[in-house]
Amino acid sequence: MAQEPSQEYIHVAYTMSRPYRWSAGKYLSKLYKEMRDSKKLVTNRCPKCKELLWPPQMVCGRCKVRAGDDWVELSDKGTVAGYTYLVYPLWDPHAGKRVGEDHPYATILLDDGMYMVSRLEEQDKEKLKVGMRVQAVWREEGRGRGLDEDILYFRTIEQ
Amino acid sequence: MADKLEELESLVFAGKVDIPNTYSAGLVGSRFLIELRDNKKITGIKCPTCNRVYVPPRSTCKYCFGKLSEWVEVSNKGTLLTYAVAYQPSPVQPVEVPIAYGIVQLDGADTGLAHMLGEVDPEQLKVGMKVKAVFKVKKERVASILDIKYFKPLG
Amino acid sequence: MANRVAIVGIGQTYHKSRRPDVSQPEMANEAVRAALADAQLSMKDIESVFFSNMETFEGIYLPDHGMADEAGSFMKPGFKIASGGTSGIAAAKEAFHFVASGLFSIALVLGFEKHDAGDTTAAITAATTLAWGKGQARGAIGEFAKQASNYMKQSGATEEHAAMVRLKADRCACRNPYAHLRLGLKSVEEILKSGYLEWPLRLLDFCPQSCGACALIIASEEEARRITNKPVWIADVVAVHQEPFRAGAFCDLDGREPYSQDVASTKLYKRNGITNPRRDIDMAEIYEPSNWEEMFLCEVFHFCEENEGWKLIEKGITEIEGEFPVNPSGGVLATNPIGATPTIRVAECALQIRGDAGEHQVTRDVKTAVATALGGPNWTAMVLLRRSL
Repeated sequence: MAQEPSQEYIHVAYTMSRPYRWSAGKYLSKLYKEMRDSKKLVTNRCPKCKELLWPPQMVCGRCKVRAGDDWVELSDKGTVAGYTYLVYPLWDPHAGKRVGEDHPYATILLDDGMYMVSRLEEQDKEKLKVGMRVQAVWREEGRGRGLDEDILYFRTIEQ
Repeated sequence: MADKLEELESLVFAGKVDIPNTYSAGLVGSRFLIELRDNKKITGIKCPTCNRVYVPPRSTCKYCFGKLSEWVEVSNKGTLLTYAVAYQPSPVQPVEVPIAYGIVQLDGADTGLAHMLGEVDPEQLKVGMKVKAVFKVKKERVASILDIKYFKPLG
Repeated sequence: MANRVAIVGIGQTYHKSRRPDVSQPEMANEAVRAALADAQLSMKDIESVFFSNMETFEGIYLPDHGMADEAGSFMKPGFKIASGGTSGIAAAKEAFHFVASGLFSIALVLGFEKHDAGDTTAAITAATTLAWGKGQARGAIGEFAKQASNYMKQSGATEEHAAMVRLKADRCACRNPYAHLRLGLKSVEEILKSGYLEWPLRLLDFCPQSCGACALIIASEEEARRITNKPVWIADVVAVHQEPFRAGAFCDLDGREPYSQDVASTKLYKRNGITNPRRDIDMAEIYEPSNWEEMFLCEVFHFCEENEGWKLIEKGITEIEGEFPVNPSGGVLATNPIGATPTIRVAECALQIRGDAGEHQVTRDVKTAVATALGGPNWTAMVLLRRSL
């Protein structure tokens, strides 16, 4: 047969759809239940170094010891450590399409010293600042599906 | 706070993620599929050094690492090397269960090609039996391995 | 005493947005053949193959299952590493360990990514721990946008500085025939006109998704001296892991947790008698997903003082002709086939040490170079290369 290379190339475009069942584990479940039922952030403390672990977890990575039921309630106030807002809609695999986002999102340094990622209520770009003080706004009826769902966003508060 | 960890039930979240993908058949794969579509021909690539014919074709010989480009047409008839029958339906299957499938070594090829087996009672399948490719009609062929509908027993 | 280990063969593909003409294994094969040709070896000489690829980014799952023939790993030992952005250095690091141990004399490292097959941002977003920020941070873009805003605030760097980094990257890329984005950019103003993906990250501030592969052949001292008269010695390797939420997903305001880059580089420098990195090392190829990140990483790798990363670009220190060139290949800003991206960092350092970088060979004589990588799974990995040990 002749040796000329084929000019046409075959492609198959498809959407890979992957179902999951994600176990939060007992430590995260404790946090999510407190968020859902009491609108509270909680975490556990390392029995050795007494540092707060975050997110709540079974092992202190520094001390390599098992952590247990020494639970502490955290403030839901914090400081914006970094923020951004989506301009170009990107593919959201949970939605299965390109979507935009109305609220800026930020890394927030909670007053007890841990970081979390959440949205900001403030949509006026001119008013966004690293270092601004914010507090969580909770969903009326908690869903028990974690930080992303039970905290709607963080609202700007006075210093 | 009330719940102790040992009494607490772990929350489980179910859902799904959808991610867009494109598979490229590439240099030799595309040509193999186009021959199925356009000419109802099953082609392979021969390694002249090792004297082996690869079906489906590969761009490199696994034994000598030679770059392969010598296309050959192989027969649409071959020998069933092994088979199995799937009775459990799954969303990725191209046809309804039960699906008999096997590995066919085509006459003129040194490797096996995986495909479905049709027009046969699964009870009648035998390792070593001769089988023949059945192609879809031209307007249904889209340069896919499924342009071959299945292999059926010969005679 | 471990064996000394050298890089004796380097090969990479041209990098493009789309490679419709090849399958993933065929693309990887191009780099393997290029590396074998560079070392003047045949596949028979290779004892083991170490793969690097971020499966799921391309939607090709278990990518190594269909490429033993094209990678040359048929009936040979080896394994695949998928540690995000560090995969390609991690694979080189493992090949180094195996050859240093004496188990193998000649090993192949193969990094590859066929980005036109998938959507990396979607895959990374899907990988974000569910119910812990899903759907908020959109892949790497969201993360590096936040870091950029944080860096701007902390260091006083401006968008003009970020644009200068892209301008440098593009000038370098235009001199590197293998680079993907070679835009021929003329001015900072041109870059500042590029639209925002996520503020303050512009389209031109971020790395592309590339198709490409890069292979390295790594050999023991005995084999290296037989194979080539220009071996590039792997002096040391280091890797450090970290928890993202303790370090504020890369932006730690109060400095309670050290940066993994700081820990990794401090360890590497100390073990190798490097007291002043900018003086004792001649150039670096670092994994900078954004131009902002390059300025920041220069600080945490101690190429300059804290909050002064932007001064390096302002003073021209990191240019090809500069005192301490950073990413003379055009870097990740120009070329980003993720599984291969860190392998390219090592390959480019090795080419500079050999003096074989061609048009993008840096002005100063490179005797020592450092290649680094970072990635979403929160590893930092580094390789220190030298012309002589």
